[in-house]
Amino acid sequence: MTKFLHRLSYSAFTIFLAVTALFFVIRMAPGDPVEKILGPEATFEEITILRNQLGLDKAIHIQYLNFIKDVGTGNLGDSLYKKEEVTGLLKKHMPPTIILALVSVTLSAFFGTALGIWAGFKRKKTFDNVGRLVSLIALSFPIFSLAPLLVIIFSIKLNILPVSEWGEVKHVFLPILTLVIPLSAVLMRVSRNKYLEEISVPWVQVLESKGLAPFQILLRVTKVCLPTILNVVAIQLSVVLAGTMITETIFDIPGMGMLLFEGIQNRDYPVVQGVIIYSTVIYMLIYFIVDFLNEKIDPRINS
Amino acid sequence: MSTSKKINKEIFFGSSILGLYLFWAIGWFVYSYFIGGSFDEPFFPRSNISTELISPFSEGYFLGTDLYGRSLFQVLSAGLCYSLGIGLTISFFSAGIGITIGYLSAVGPKFLRSFCDLTTNLIFIFPSILIAILVMSVSGQSFWGLVFALVVTGWPGYARISRGETLRVMSLTYVESAKAVGVGPFRLFAKIVLPAILPFLLVHIVLGISGVIISEASLGFLGLGGSEYSWGALLSNAKTVLLEAPFMGIVLSLSMAGLIIGLNLCGDGLRDYFDPKS
Repeated sequence: MTKFLHRLSYSAFTIFLAVTALFFVIRMAPGDPVEKILGPEATFEEITILRNQLGLDKAIHIQYLNFIKDVGTGNLGDSLYKKEEVTGLLKKHMPPTIILALVSVTLSAFFGTALGIWAGFKRKKTFDNVGRLVSLIALSFPIFSLAPLLVIIFSIKLNILPVSEWGEVKHVFLPILTLVIPLSAVLMRVSRNKYLEEISVPWVQVLESKGLAPFQILLRVTKVCLPTILNVVAIQLSVVLAGTMITETIFDIPGMGMLLFEGIQNRDYPVVQGVIIYSTVIYMLIYFIVDFLNEKIDPRINS
Repeated sequence: MSTSKKINKEIFFGSSILGLYLFWAIGWFVYSYFIGGSFDEPFFPRSNISTELISPFSEGYFLGTDLYGRSLFQVLSAGLCYSLGIGLTISFFSAGIGITIGYLSAVGPKFLRSFCDLTTNLIFIFPSILIAILVMSVSGQSFWGLVFALVVTGWPGYARISRGETLRVMSLTYVESAKAVGVGPFRLFAKIVLPAILPFLLVHIVLGISGVIISEASLGFLGLGGSEYSWGALLSNAKTVLLEAPFMGIVLSLSMAGLIIGLNLCGDGLRDYFDPKS
């Protein structure tokens, strides 16, 4: 129980530090945000009014205390551009990102792990060699260069999958494919290497010498590899949940990434702050859960 | 690490690909600064409305033209020089800072150790692209802004490896004997620890360069890059004309993937090469 509390306080402290860093990065950056928002033609009065509205005319320590108080009570301010509360915007943009993240991470966790373990099992054979080459190539196409290629192949040449217009089931395929390819390539490499690392351990040799079928050994070794794989999947999930900005802008998906992208484009600081605070909380939450799960799967970690 | 080890296939193919790209980049650099232009006025691809979106291998354009009518080959070359320049600069600074901080967090006094650990972990747990976006969107778009953004997010990775490797090396007998005969902390770092941990760091530096090139292009794609010739910015142009001129997207994607495949192959090969188990 004390350990649980200790970890909880650690997570809370990290979120607090991240929020503090965010506050100072935005305030300390060169240039006046108010002038950036209003543009060069703004009058002095307009600037004063907006500065007052944003609370930027107060002393820095008072601004900071107000900021912490607002964030602590869940008030993230209003969007400067959309005249809407940031929390409302976040709620509206969450579902598409969550769908995208859960489906693509689940698929890649399944395929990536299966292919990687199988490649490790068939080490130095054709399957392994081809798999290594394919995963290396898949990793070398960043999302923003993979997505146009997939669009050219599936939407323009073959004309089977539509590109934009979020809302129908068939629009989900292409973005998910774009995410699943790099995610499963990473997992495939990780699980293959972990598998190869584990099979050289003495207890596996004992199993072999006892005459256990290779497939039985495969299952037992896979179980040992799971915590490592789980960690990688968790990192992937937290990254994708924070908004896959590039995928979402390419396929016009109204998710968190899109919100952040628009926020940056419109210099909508409250929205940018809001999305980044949301991501921080998501990371801490997922790390927290994974730490907990790791202990359940592998009791060695506790000691 | 015996010297009789054979260079493996990955290093061979990877460095061949990298060699081609380097040759291309140096060729373009020489052309734009010494032949096509001068040092004060380097040659840059000019836009020309009448030659917009010409397909490859036609009308005297090897790879066609982009949507501003610039030769795609020239734009691509300028982008390559920029990407490589950014990749090397940022990796140099991140690796330098990361190695030093990693070393300090392994052997420094206690308060320094915990401080370094905390900052490293804090930056490390966030996806670097998010921090880079934040820094770029507030610091404005410039070369040094970009370098700053990516160094801030790049060093913790090196610091972690450097810390782990330093801890491993510090317990070896020859380092202990060096300490016993009274070698000072700076000399210990430069002459004894650094040469021992450098091979492992080299693998990460090579892979790090490809990471930096991808991050830079991602920022360019989102309109936050430091140059209009950034491959990301070019790809986001290509995205808008994907229906009319798919060749632009294909050419850009493939040339970028080629460079990254080269770097990744080299990194993988070097890892196997330095791996004491193989």
